[in-house]
Amino acid sequence: MSRIGIIISREFKERVQKKSFIIMTILTPVLMIALGAAPTLMMLHSTGDAKQIVVVDDTEGAFVGRALKSGSLVSFQLLENMTRQEAIVAYSDEDKAFGILWVGRDFVRHPDNVKLITNTSSSVMIEEEISGQLSDILKVARLHEYNIDNIEQILADADVKVSLATMKNDGSGDDGNMEQMSSDIATMISLVFGMMLYMFIIIYGQQVLASVIEEKQSRVLDVMVTSCTPFEMMMGKILGIAAVAAVQVAIWCVLISFASQFLIPMIPMEEMENPAFASTISTTFGDIFYILKLFAMLLLYIIGGFLLYASLFAAAGSAVDVNQDAQQFNTIIMLPIILGLIVMMSVFNDPNSPMALWFSIIPFTSPIVMMARIPFDIPFWQIAVSLTTLYASFILSTWIAARIYRIGIFMHGKKPSWKDLGSWLRTK
Amino acid sequence: MDTILKIENVSKTYTGHKALDNVSMEIGRGTIYGLLGPNGAGKSTLIRIINRITLPDCGKVMLNGHEITTEDIMKIGYLPEERGLYKKMRVGEQAVFFARLKGLDRTTARKRLMDWFERLSITDWWDKKIEDLSKGMAQKVQFICTVIHQPELLIFDEPFSGFDPINADLLKREILRLRDNGATVIFSTHNMESVEEICDSMTLINKSRNILSGSVEEIRRKAGANIFQIVFSDMTRPLAEITGNKAECIGESESIIGGFTQQKIHIASDDDVHDVIAAVNDNCRLRSFQEIVPTMNDIFIRAVNDQL
Repeated sequence: MSRIGIIISREFKERVQKKSFIIMTILTPVLMIALGAAPTLMMLHSTGDAKQIVVVDDTEGAFVGRALKSGSLVSFQLLENMTRQEAIVAYSDEDKAFGILWVGRDFVRHPDNVKLITNTSSSVMIEEEISGQLSDILKVARLHEYNIDNIEQILADADVKVSLATMKNDGSGDDGNMEQMSSDIATMISLVFGMMLYMFIIIYGQQVLASVIEEKQSRVLDVMVTSCTPFEMMMGKILGIAAVAAVQVAIWCVLISFASQFLIPMIPMEEMENPAFASTISTTFGDIFYILKLFAMLLLYIIGGFLLYASLFAAAGSAVDVNQDAQQFNTIIMLPIILGLIVMMSVFNDPNSPMALWFSIIPFTSPIVMMARIPFDIPFWQIAVSLTTLYASFILSTWIAARIYRIGIFMHGKKPSWKDLGSWLRTK
Repeated sequence: MDTILKIENVSKTYTGHKALDNVSMEIGRGTIYGLLGPNGAGKSTLIRIINRITLPDCGKVMLNGHEITTEDIMKIGYLPEERGLYKKMRVGEQAVFFARLKGLDRTTARKRLMDWFERLSITDWWDKKIEDLSKGMAQKVQFICTVIHQPELLIFDEPFSGFDPINADLLKREILRLRDNGATVIFSTHNMESVEEICDSMTLINKSRNILSGSVEEIRRKAGANIFQIVFSDMTRPLAEITGNKAECIGESESIIGGFTQQKIHIASDDDVHDVIAAVNDNCRLRSFQEIVPTMNDIFIRAVNDQL
């Protein structure tokens, strides 16, 4: 085995044999799902008991107060014989009521004639719940003024949800067999994959940085210097860690393919609220080739993106003696990664906008942005150009990093300035 | 002399500071060569230049008659002064890693390592992590990693630092054994005793320059320059008169146990040593007559202070 191969193998084994690698590889997909579901779960469970709101309704027959429905968020109590002022005095304590909702006599004509007076700070969710219910009541009240028969039935009939099935036109003329797609699902996949890229580059990039600093601190590099060249040391480390990343992606690919083949068919799609959406989920995630294609792309971009950044992280690590000194260089390297993440967020609105296109071709942001665009089924040539540019930039960045690394690893003491790095770059 | 490594007029200047000034030396194959000098003299810079970590401003380093290449460096066994190992790795695994980097296959590496581990009585450590070893223990492992590929040239930078006397002695024996098996050893130190004990030749570097070079025996003898110590009693006349001014006293005489007197003398010429011994013997009861060879420590201090 070549020297670089021996170093790759050491770096690889050191990482995959750790318990933390095995745990993280299995736990990360679970954590990501949990992270995705967390906001919804938090919304559902963070409100606690329903807030007690007393209603003073001055409309005729207090029809608004009677129509308000108590739920898990808010519970309404209509005060029949009390004026607004009396209620404010009587329910001025948080223990008695969260607040007083007053509805004015001419509410149907003047919808702003309504007030929520709270005894403690309010929340957006509560306000939205109340104003939502009031709007619905108002809508029905106004429709009633037209004296249409069967208005309740008409309203119920009119309240439908459209389930739009989007097809990708393949020019065959047979839309029954066209590939079904959904922007919602594409956005979801895009978000997950874009975030994955971001996390991989940062986590594994930081591993390179920390590992080079550790080798420099522990003086292992001084021992290695007559066993291999600095370039072999750097590339061995980077490729070893890249191999770890590749294995992790491969394991996830297997897990998700397994889920797609065995778990997706078990979901009762017909019982779901939106049958078209459910059917798209089933076709998208049930399609093993689609999943393999996504993971192949993910692998190419993770490796390309990682290699591009890893050499820069290695150069930064080689230049300093302690982690704290690396922060300045670290921040500069992280900036384009964060920029990529910001651009990724705009990709969902229009995956084919010029900004999305350019940032998915420029190598420093391309891994994250392109990976977020791929689920939207973009032209292949764009992927080809983006990958070629990415891998070409990796060669360039490695060349630059290697020139800094070969000198940096032997420099101890004062943190080098940018000028020093420049002079190392030029040193023959 | 069969020269393995030749350093020709090597100079190196760092910003405003001359680290090496026209240093030359020749190192004979199969010898132990001491590179001596006070801290900051330029020893480490010279070793870095030999290892091509740093390139000289001018001058050449020749190995086996050709200018040293990166591939030559990969064959050298180098134990740096600041040494380290991967803390989380197990001893055996780590030693195999370094041996494989030096071109050994896994089986040969394991076999040789087991031999070395037995020789240094550390077979129990094979599965221990480096972080669980003491500094001295880790140094032993590091020493093995340096010599495992049986290099023809070994460079040790302060090899005995961090060792207790017993282990330092063990290491000395192993270095001598490596030399006897044909390896050439360069070692840099400011520990004079170790130079005396194991070096065949040496160079003393001070303030970036080579101020003294040669075989250890020769240097000590030259520095000694015919200084003798005599122990006697009942001397009838002054020494200068007895010897016809061929010998002169150095310092005051001392009375020692048994009624004897002890005196250091300097004999100007090698040819006169025999005559002086005869003359002294004829004129007193001579108890002993002994050449005083200075210690390397004396030579080091005198050389550094420009007294040689």
